[in-house]
Amino acid sequence: MALQTSSLLVSVQDVSMIYKTKDSRGQALETIALKDANLEIGTGEFISLIGPSGCGKTTLLRLLADLIQPSKGSLLIGGKTPQQARESRAYGYVFQAPALFDWRTVQQNVMLPLEIMGFSKEERITRAEKMLKLVGLEKFARNYPWQLSGGMQQRASIARALAFDPQLIFMDEPFGALDEITRENLNLELLRLWRETGKTIIFVTHSIPEAVFLSTRIVVMTPRPGKIEKIINVDLPQPRNFDTRETPRFFEIATEVRESLRHGHGYEEEV
Amino acid sequence: MATRALKPSFLETNLIVLAVVCVLGSAFFSLKLIADRFALTEAWQSSDLIWLYAWLLLGLLGVALASSAVVRFLARPKAKDNADWLQRQLVALLPAGLLAVVVLIAVEGLVRGYAVPLAQIPPPSLVVQRLWEARDVLWRDTSTTLLETIVGFVAGGSLGVLMAIATQRYPFLERGLMPYATLFSSVPIVALAPVVIRAMGVDWQSKAVIVAITVFFPMLLNTARGLTEVNPLQVDLMRSYAADSRRTFQSLRLPNAMPFIFTGLKTGAVLGLISAIVAEFFGANGSGLGFRIVVEIGTVSLDAVWAAIVVASFLGITVYNLLALLERRVTGWHSSFRAED
Amino acid sequence: MNKSFIPMLTVALVVVVLSFPLMVFLNAQSAQRLLDRGAELPCGSALSCAFNLRSPVIPAPNQLLEDFPKAFFPLTDPNSIPFHGFFTALATVLGLLLAGVVGLGLAVLLTVSRAFERAVLPWLVASQTVPVIAIAPMLAVVLGSNGVQGLLPKVLISAYIAFFPIAVGVAKGLKSPDLLQVDLMRTYNASSVQMFAKLRFPASVPFLFTAFKIAMTAALIGAIVSESSTITDAGLGRLLSENSRASDSRSLWLVMFGSAALGIALVALVGVVERLVTPWRRVR
Repeated sequence: MALQTSSLLVSVQDVSMIYKTKDSRGQALETIALKDANLEIGTGEFISLIGPSGCGKTTLLRLLADLIQPSKGSLLIGGKTPQQARESRAYGYVFQAPALFDWRTVQQNVMLPLEIMGFSKEERITRAEKMLKLVGLEKFARNYPWQLSGGMQQRASIARALAFDPQLIFMDEPFGALDEITRENLNLELLRLWRETGKTIIFVTHSIPEAVFLSTRIVVMTPRPGKIEKIINVDLPQPRNFDTRETPRFFEIATEVRESLRHGHGYEEEV
Repeated sequence: MATRALKPSFLETNLIVLAVVCVLGSAFFSLKLIADRFALTEAWQSSDLIWLYAWLLLGLLGVALASSAVVRFLARPKAKDNADWLQRQLVALLPAGLLAVVVLIAVEGLVRGYAVPLAQIPPPSLVVQRLWEARDVLWRDTSTTLLETIVGFVAGGSLGVLMAIATQRYPFLERGLMPYATLFSSVPIVALAPVVIRAMGVDWQSKAVIVAITVFFPMLLNTARGLTEVNPLQVDLMRSYAADSRRTFQSLRLPNAMPFIFTGLKTGAVLGLISAIVAEFFGANGSGLGFRIVVEIGTVSLDAVWAAIVVASFLGITVYNLLALLERRVTGWHSSFRAED
Repeated sequence: MNKSFIPMLTVALVVVVLSFPLMVFLNAQSAQRLLDRGAELPCGSALSCAFNLRSPVIPAPNQLLEDFPKAFFPLTDPNSIPFHGFFTALATVLGLLLAGVVGLGLAVLLTVSRAFERAVLPWLVASQTVPVIAIAPMLAVVLGSNGVQGLLPKVLISAYIAFFPIAVGVAKGLKSPDLLQVDLMRTYNASSVQMFAKLRFPASVPFLFTAFKIAMTAALIGAIVSESSTITDAGLGRLLSENSRASDSRSLWLVMFGSAALGIALVALVGVVERLVTPWRRVR
C-alpha cells in the first residue's frame, strides 16, 4: 500500500461497522456493513471506492464524514478524528442526489455553506461567482434548481462542496442518476477541477470505466460482509481525455478491477 | 437501514412500567385529594393546591417517561406481520392516552380547587355524569345527526363520483365544473345552512341536503384526480393490449382512483359531520347534536353542551377510522401503507 | 382560465335554468297556501306571485337583482353586507395570524422533541376528524360572560379553529427536508438554530400556505359562528342569524353570496401572499 504522492491525509485502521439490532420479537440481528477495513490516502490523490451495493463503500464514506460512527477501529483525517474534522469543516460532501434547496437560487445554494460558516457577504459573492464559473454555471446563478437539468444540478452541488475550499472532497455516486453521455462529460470536467484545485477526492461509484478513468487508485470492495478486496494502482498518464478510454492500458486495468470484483463472493447475485 | 444500536428491550419495558406507575399514582393521589374535598363549594386552601400541583407534575413526568421509552421502542426495525403492526399502533398511542388521563384529572382538580363556576368550565366528572343521565336524549340527537350525515354523505358522495366519471369522459364538463369545485372549498358552509333550511324546512332533509353539497365537491375533486392522474406508460400499455376505454377504465383508471376516492371519503365524512352540526345551529326539529349544543348554551348548562361535544367528537373519530380501516382493506397495495411510520 | 370560461358559464347557466322551475314551483305553492288562507296578495294568481313574494322559499332572480344594490352599496353604510363582511374578515385574518404564531411554536416543539410529539401529535391528528367548530358557540358565550367582548372573542375563536390544521401542516413541513439535506447540513457542522433557519423553516413554507388555505376557511366559519352566537356589533354571522330569525330569505341569499365571495377572496389572498413569499415555485 505504498503511497505515490506526498503526505498522508486519511488513514483508516481496522475499521468495522456492525449494526446490532433486535426485531420486535427480540431476536438479535447482526449486519456487518464493513469488516476490518484498512486504507491510507495521501494528499492530492483521487481514490475511487468501487463495488456492488452492500459492499460498504457508502458506509466507509459516511464513517469518514462522521455521519455515522464505527463499531470498531479508528479513522484519522489530517491527524484529526472524523468528528473534529467535521467540526473544523475539513471536507466537502457531494451526495447521490444534488440535494439543492428548492427555495434558493443556484448562487444562493452555493453560498449556503459560506453563510453557515460565517463568511462575509463580499467573500460569499466572490467565491460563489468563482465556483460557478469553475463548473460552468455562471449564466444560471439566478435560476432556481428546478430550472436546471439533472447534470447541471449536480454541477451546482459540486460547486457548493468546493465553495468553502476544503482540502478533501467526498463524492458518493454523484453521477449515478445521470445518463452515460452527461456522465462522461462530467467525468472529464471533474478531472479538470481536480487538477486545477489540487484537492483530494474520495469517490464512490459502481461504474468500472468511471473509476478507471478518474482515479489514481481504485479500492475494490466486495459485499457480505463488506470489505476491501484489493487496491489497484491506476498508472494512466495525466492529463487524461476521451482518448485515454481507448488505450489498451485502460482496458487492462478495467479487466483487473472486474476480475477482483468477481473474486469477491456474492457478486453473481448482484448481476 | 438502522443507524444505531438499540438498548435491550427490558429497559424500555421497565421505563414504560415506571411511567404507568407514575401516572396511576398521580391519578390516585389527585383523585383522593379531590374526593376528600368533593363537598367543598369554595376554593381550596393553598396547601392543598400545592399538593395537587405536585401530583399533577408527577403525572406529567410519567407521560414524559412513557414518551421517551416509546420513542426508543418504535425506533427498532419492524417485523412485517400484522401482530407486530397492531402492537406498534397500541404502544405508539400509550403516551397520548396517559397524557389524556393527566389532563382530565388536572382539569377536574383545578376547576374544583379554584371553585371555577359551572357556567365557565364544568369539571369532567360532571360531564360524564351528564353523558349518562342524558343518554336517551343524546342517543336521539346522535341518530338524527347521523341520519342527516349518512343520507347526505351517500347522496353527495355517489353524485360526486358519478360526476367525476362524467368529467373524465367529457373534457368540456371538466373545464366547466372543476373550477367551481375548487372555489367551493373556500366557501363557508355556515352561510349556506340558513338558506337551505329556509327553503326546505327544519326537518332532517334540509340538513341532509347541506351535507350532500359539502360532500359532493371534495368527492368530485379527489375522484377526478384519481381518474386522470394515471401513469401515461400504463395507459400506453392498455392501448398496446387494444383495450377499449371501458376496459381501461375498469382495469386501470378506477383502481388507480381508489386511494384518491378514499381520501375524498374521509375528508367528506368529516366535513359532512361538521356541516350537519353547524346547520343544526340554524334550525332543527327538536333533535340533533348541533341543536342540543345551541339549546343547552341557551340555558347555560355547559355540562350538557360538553356532553354533546364529546359525543360529536367520538362520532367523528369513529367514522373516520372506520373509513380508514376499510381503506386498508381495499387499497392495501398502495405505497402509503408501506412507508408508514 | 380563458379556456374554461365558456364551459364555466355554460355550467352556471344550466344550474340556473334547472333551478328556475323549482323556484317557481316552490314559491307558487307557498303563494297558493297564502291565497287559500284568504290572504290579500297584490299580485293576483299564485304563479305571478311566485316572483314577488315578501318572503319567498327561494328568491326569484328579479328580486335578488332588485335587492343587490341596496344590500351591497354604499360600502360604508353600516347596514351593507360589505361593511359587515369587513368586520368578519378582520376577525378571521387576525385569528389566522394568531393561530399561525401559536401553531408554528407548537410545531417547532413537535419537531425538537420526539417524546413530546408522541404524547401530543395523536391528539392533534384526532382533532382533524373532530367537529372542533362545535365548541365555538359555547366559547363565544363563556368569553362574553367573562367580559371579553367586541372583536377579541371572534379573533380568539377563529384562531382556535384555525390552529389545528396549521399546527399539523407546519409540523409536517418542518419534517419535510429529506435525509440528504439534513446530512448536508451536518457536514457543514451547522448548529441546530441554523438547521431551523436555513433548512427546516424555508422547507415548511409551502406546507404553511397549504395549511393556511384550509385554516382560512375554517377560521371564517369560526368567526361567523361566533358572531351568530353572541351579541356583536357587526359581522356576517349577525346578519345571518338576524335574517334567519326574521325568515328574510331575500337577504339571506345575498348574505350567502357575500359570505361565499368573502371566503373565496380570503383564500385567494393567501394564494397571492404565497406567490410573493415563495418565488421559487413560480411558473412551474
